[in-house]
Amino acid sequence: MEILYLLIPLSVVVVLGIIVIFWWALQSGQLDNIEREGERILRAD
Amino acid sequence: MNQATTAPLQGRHRVGAEAEPEVLALDATFSERPRGPLTVTDNFAVLDDPIEQREFTQFAEIDGRRMAQSVLMVQGMFCAACADTVEDALCHLPGVVKAEVHAATRRLTVQWDPALTRASALAQAVGRAGYRLLPLHEALSITQRIAESRKVLWRLFVAGICMMQVMMYAWPAYITEPGDIPPDIEHLLRWASWVLSLPVLLFASGSFFSGAWRDLKQGRVGMDTPVSIGILVTFVASSLATFDPNGPWGHEVWYDSLTMFVFFLMGGRYLEFKARDRTAGALDNLMNRLPEVCDRRRSDGQFEPVSVRRLEVGDVVRVQAGQAFPGDGVLIQMNATVDEALLTGESHPVIRQVGESVVAGSYNLAGPVEVRVDKLGKDTRFAQIVSLMEKASTEKPRLAVLADRIAGPFLSLVLLGAVVSGVYWWQIDHDRALAVAVAVLIVTCPCALSLATPAAMLASAGSLARRGVLVRRLQAFENLANVHTVVFDKTGTLTHDKLQLVAIHVREGASQADVLALGGALASGSLHPASKALVAASQEGWGGLTLPPVDVVSTTETVGQGLAALVNGSDRLWLGSATFCGVSGEALARGESPRVHLADEKGWLATFELEESLRGDAVEAVMALKAAGVTTWLLSGDLPQAAHRVASLVGVDHVVSGATPEQKLQQIARLQEQGFKVAMVGDGVNDGPVLARSDASFALGTAAPLAQANSDFVIQGGRLKDVVSALGQARSTMRVVHQNLAWAAAYNAVSVPLALLGYMPPWAAGLGMAISSFWVIGNALRLNRVL
Repeated sequence: MEILYLLIPLSVVVVLGIIVIFWWALQSGQLDNIEREGERILRAD
Repeated sequence: MNQATTAPLQGRHRVGAEAEPEVLALDATFSERPRGPLTVTDNFAVLDDPIEQREFTQFAEIDGRRMAQSVLMVQGMFCAACADTVEDALCHLPGVVKAEVHAATRRLTVQWDPALTRASALAQAVGRAGYRLLPLHEALSITQRIAESRKVLWRLFVAGICMMQVMMYAWPAYITEPGDIPPDIEHLLRWASWVLSLPVLLFASGSFFSGAWRDLKQGRVGMDTPVSIGILVTFVASSLATFDPNGPWGHEVWYDSLTMFVFFLMGGRYLEFKARDRTAGALDNLMNRLPEVCDRRRSDGQFEPVSVRRLEVGDVVRVQAGQAFPGDGVLIQMNATVDEALLTGESHPVIRQVGESVVAGSYNLAGPVEVRVDKLGKDTRFAQIVSLMEKASTEKPRLAVLADRIAGPFLSLVLLGAVVSGVYWWQIDHDRALAVAVAVLIVTCPCALSLATPAAMLASAGSLARRGVLVRRLQAFENLANVHTVVFDKTGTLTHDKLQLVAIHVREGASQADVLALGGALASGSLHPASKALVAASQEGWGGLTLPPVDVVSTTETVGQGLAALVNGSDRLWLGSATFCGVSGEALARGESPRVHLADEKGWLATFELEESLRGDAVEAVMALKAAGVTTWLLSGDLPQAAHRVASLVGVDHVVSGATPEQKLQQIARLQEQGFKVAMVGDGVNDGPVLARSDASFALGTAAPLAQANSDFVIQGGRLKDVVSALGQARSTMRVVHQNLAWAAAYNAVSVPLALLGYMPPWAAGLGMAISSFWVIGNALRLNRVL
């Protein structure tokens, strides 16, 4: 089970990375208007 | 230049000297695309005025160019696909970089280059597509709202993803026997949980800590206090257990309980925020209009169009027919017929003589008049009524106060209990002491008060919103559920505000069709409610009559009296009051309904009987209310005959007529002193203080904008039956709230002793709290279904 010595810290790093990416997505305004995606099917193009 | 007048334009003749609105040429490509419902002929030049533009536009330097970002409201949208049409209309304009419409709140955010295009051009393009752009009231608070929305979402996400990962780390401990996991790996798992609990503590729990800190400074115990203490103690204890496993703080870690706890509470906050945002957006629609333009006299005597914001006391302005007076002022030169429905809720035109004052916001009905402005902005009577209503509305009871009163002592007890049990158990077993104390803190769910009640109210608010009833204050549900008495205003509430043609009496030899055609033709330029009724009747083929075309050569309106015209070449006609038409002997006995007479050179020709029409569902609504055990009242400022007539038609229990606004207020106060809870349904701004004073208030969607903005419920469709459904919904809501509170009490009564006695491990406490939250929210969500 030595692989866990690598995997557990790696998972921590990955989650922190996910948090950073979410921060970027949030600040760039992608999540300001979530309902818009649902309305996309109603548009002509 | 006028904004669109309400009188229908007829090609055959023109009334008055107003310029015709601009006719915009339609682009050929646009005629194929789906269009909006409005015919937009407004003059948007006022949107280019820098003072006006500041209200809804921000400027920024992007790539060395000065760009503008505007937030406007789109009027006329009836579905989400309309957003597409509006965006298309704008995207093809030169100078527009980005245009996005948020369908749920009808907000347009557009980035444009001021060097290439103008705000008025944007509005005109959207106007061609069939929608109207209006500057959004307090548009720049949009940036604030977006910032808040981002913060809430951020906290939820951080708590959520850390919770999931920490649970994965904690899972092995749940399913294995103690000792199965090698200590190294166990240590690693705990270390990893510690690292991922840090973001939750730092980012997601901020609101609890600041709330608890605030309460602490005021010397109170609030709902955030045990939450914050629980989080801190849990974290500190778990950290110590992680880094110093053999120390005095024990061996247990509770990272999973900690993160789950925070996540659930954040989830509740997020839902609350979204619902609030949506309701706020829908209400913005009510308060927005194009900024007013009016003609101000320059020093050389000429008039120039100028934005209302630029007016000063002492200016002389010319107010056209159909415009509202921009400020309180004194009439000079001419009499005016004004519509003060804004204040009184009743559209009966009032005549003001030269030298009398007119009130800001009331409409000028007859020809253009000149007014010297006395008071503007905050000093106008209109603004004073607004501030009066705003003050009155903060006097209402709040559920939060009640919750705090209960929560405070309860939470202090819990904290005390945690400390006591901690000390007690310390003497017995160090490890368990901390576990017990933490369990006590976590298991007492603040959910009942902090989540359950708002969740139930929000679910009900959402359900009502889907039916067209906007809820402005959640506490109104509690008030409405206890209401015994419902008071209705008469005009505009139980009746439509418009007059309707009911009967035509004609002289021998004349036909109803001819007479109606003549009446309608004469009345078509006038804004008097009686005229509008005649025009509507003639256009809709009243009584199944087919009307012959009429050629009207010229019309003059005499303020408050009537219209005189030349018809079909040379016949003179008079339409108006009995004295104006010279009708005396033929005048039928004065009844309650307003009458308009038509006379020609030979004398009396016809009389049109008009009346206020009852709303279609008024009778049903009142019957349903009586069946629900509610007493109904009618409060009206109108004559006793009119009030009693409507009362008997509709079936209310009590009638009060001829009441001034102060008397209406007194009547409500009297009822309240007798111990009754009163709900008021109204529509005029003068009803404003009355609406604020009642325990629950309804404004109809056709009401004066100010009444709408200050009442608890806004019925957008104008259906009185919605009052009944709102009442039903409020009662169910309170039932659910009481169920939730009962559950919370029972749950706490059982689990806290268990925790104190040491029978509850922290993971069970966390689980119990989670189940309790879910149960409470699930129960609240039942209200979403249409009852």
